[in-house]
Amino acid sequence: MFDLVLQQLANGISTGMIYALIALGLTVVFGVMHVINFAHGELYMVGALCSVMLTSRLGIPYILTVPIAAIAGALIAIVTDRIAISPVLPRKDGHALVLITTFAASMLINETVVASAGPGPIPSPGIGGWVLSLGPVALSAQRLLVIGVGLLLVIFLQLMLMRTKFGRSLRAVAQSAWAAEVVGVDVRKIAFLTLALSGLLAGLAGALVVPIVTFSAAMGSHAIINAFVIVVIGSMGSFVGAVVCGVALGVAESIASIAMSSDASSAIIYSLLLVALLLRPQGLFARSAR
Amino acid sequence: MNKRLLCAAAAGALIALAWGAQSSDASAKDTLPIGVIFPTKSIIGQQGVQGANIAADLLNADGGVNGKEVRLIVYDTNYSPVEGVAAVERLITQDGVHVVAGEISSTIALAAIPVVKAEDALLMLAVPKHPDVTKSDYDRVFRLNTTSTMDAASFNDYLKNKIAPAKIAYLAENNDFGRLTLDDAKKSFGSKIVFTDIFEVKQSDFSALASNVRGSGADLVCIMASNPEQSGNLIKSMADVGYMPKRCLTPGVLNNDFPKVAGAAAEGVFSEDIYAPSIDTDLNKRFVTSYEAKYKSVPGKIELLGFESVWITGLAMRKAGTVTDTKKIAEVLRANPWPTPRGTVAFDKSGQASSDHVYHVEVKDGKVVATQR
Repeated sequence: MFDLVLQQLANGISTGMIYALIALGLTVVFGVMHVINFAHGELYMVGALCSVMLTSRLGIPYILTVPIAAIAGALIAIVTDRIAISPVLPRKDGHALVLITTFAASMLINETVVASAGPGPIPSPGIGGWVLSLGPVALSAQRLLVIGVGLLLVIFLQLMLMRTKFGRSLRAVAQSAWAAEVVGVDVRKIAFLTLALSGLLAGLAGALVVPIVTFSAAMGSHAIINAFVIVVIGSMGSFVGAVVCGVALGVAESIASIAMSSDASSAIIYSLLLVALLLRPQGLFARSAR
Repeated sequence: MNKRLLCAAAAGALIALAWGAQSSDASAKDTLPIGVIFPTKSIIGQQGVQGANIAADLLNADGGVNGKEVRLIVYDTNYSPVEGVAAVERLITQDGVHVVAGEISSTIALAAIPVVKAEDALLMLAVPKHPDVTKSDYDRVFRLNTTSTMDAASFNDYLKNKIAPAKIAYLAENNDFGRLTLDDAKKSFGSKIVFTDIFEVKQSDFSALASNVRGSGADLVCIMASNPEQSGNLIKSMADVGYMPKRCLTPGVLNNDFPKVAGAAAEGVFSEDIYAPSIDTDLNKRFVTSYEAKYKSVPGKIELLGFESVWITGLAMRKAGTVTDTKKIAEVLRANPWPTPRGTVAFDKSGQASSDHVYHVEVKDGKVVATQR
């Protein structure tokens, strides 16, 4: 039993880091622009598609496809911004309208992929099939990569946020776009870069996760729900919150699956969301947000 | 100025759309519309649609049906009863179809039956496996796939007598089909079942489930998952934690996409099916050749059922001499055997199809290989 708990702990950390990777891009857009981007899941899907297409059709080594997929995610995010966010955000009720326009954009991206690449499945080789075994605990190389990159990313993003001019501008816009503009911050440029960063993170997540879950056109819409839950519980706009809550939820799900069926353990996520919203609606990491 | 240009462009687009619609109406007069429903965003749904397309191609290559070219109108049901019912209503009331073919989900099939009945249409279901699908009081519902109970009777006997496992684990997707499969397995194997679990149809990460089933110590793991993404990822996750007992998929879900997803972990996974692309008949060769030419892959059982749902409908309309009298078409369907790529299909009074053969299928060298049992 102890062996199983250890294995589930390792599984939970890797599953949780997958959740966190997807949630990182979502949380930065909400934190800075106060926009809920429903198309974020499709950016993650596009990153995954880009990676599998480059490996399966062009024979490019997997590891080289990861940065390309991240750039593809950023480009699609910029296009989404141009057609579905920037034109409606300045309007009255712009933030409500964005929910609908980004949802429309997500459908457009998804249908385009289904029509051109099909629904899948397209497997990805990842970094190889070897498995790290430590006593009773086994984790595949790809899962270890996801955990490693996830940790590095959150450190990098946190440093960028606190130590760079761009990070300071980002935090200024997050606190008040009007005040930031008054002190000379180019708010439109920051918004543009924020969207691009979120797309970059989503594309990166897609490329890292696809060898584990296999590409399908529906993977974005499936992933976005958990990502929203993590962003809400971990405080909208908090990188650390996204990673800590992502991992915590992954571990909770995995450990719970020992005692209950897989579908019932998924209900844990939504129970935690409800409890978090009732007890701490601003999120667990509200102080460190922004 | 820009606004004027935009208005002019919009008006032009509307006129072009109206012109296009008029043209398609004109061409639609000489065509026979058949409604096709599948969850088209899923792999399995696409496979069904592609099979249906081949049936339309072959029927049209043979001169169409009663002088009309078969034209498929395909809608996505998205595994949702609400969307499925809306698709069926739209097909019958707006698109003017008299026959709706296809679908994967039993839940959607059961939800669609009252709509079809209210409109006197005919429902030719491809894949739904729930026994209740052909137990309605409406005489124009047909099902091509075997039921989960029929599968269990055949496959569970095979497992008991040939594989003879000491401990069995059963993992099933969370729908009517999955729960029925679990119930049938419990009846067949009793205390030999040491572990069961139900997972969500959209689940993609199976690491926790794979670890739990490894902990059960079962020497045979049976998986019931309609989508190869799920069965493939589950088998792969089991291999990742070093667990490789005898593994089988429940009948009818082991197709060529499974080894693509599971990779090397798929080797040795077996199942049972009513179709194998290697069947040596002229019609099967024609079906496989046409499919390969159009979609660059080998068709499996779902493609066959999608094909049959349109193919048999077309043949029955020809024999009945009508494309609108669904009562007569239903009578003809029950009264005659129908040649299809898997052999000969006949319908009983309830509308349930049966055919001649059962095949043992197994993954060998990355491919699904079939042998007749």
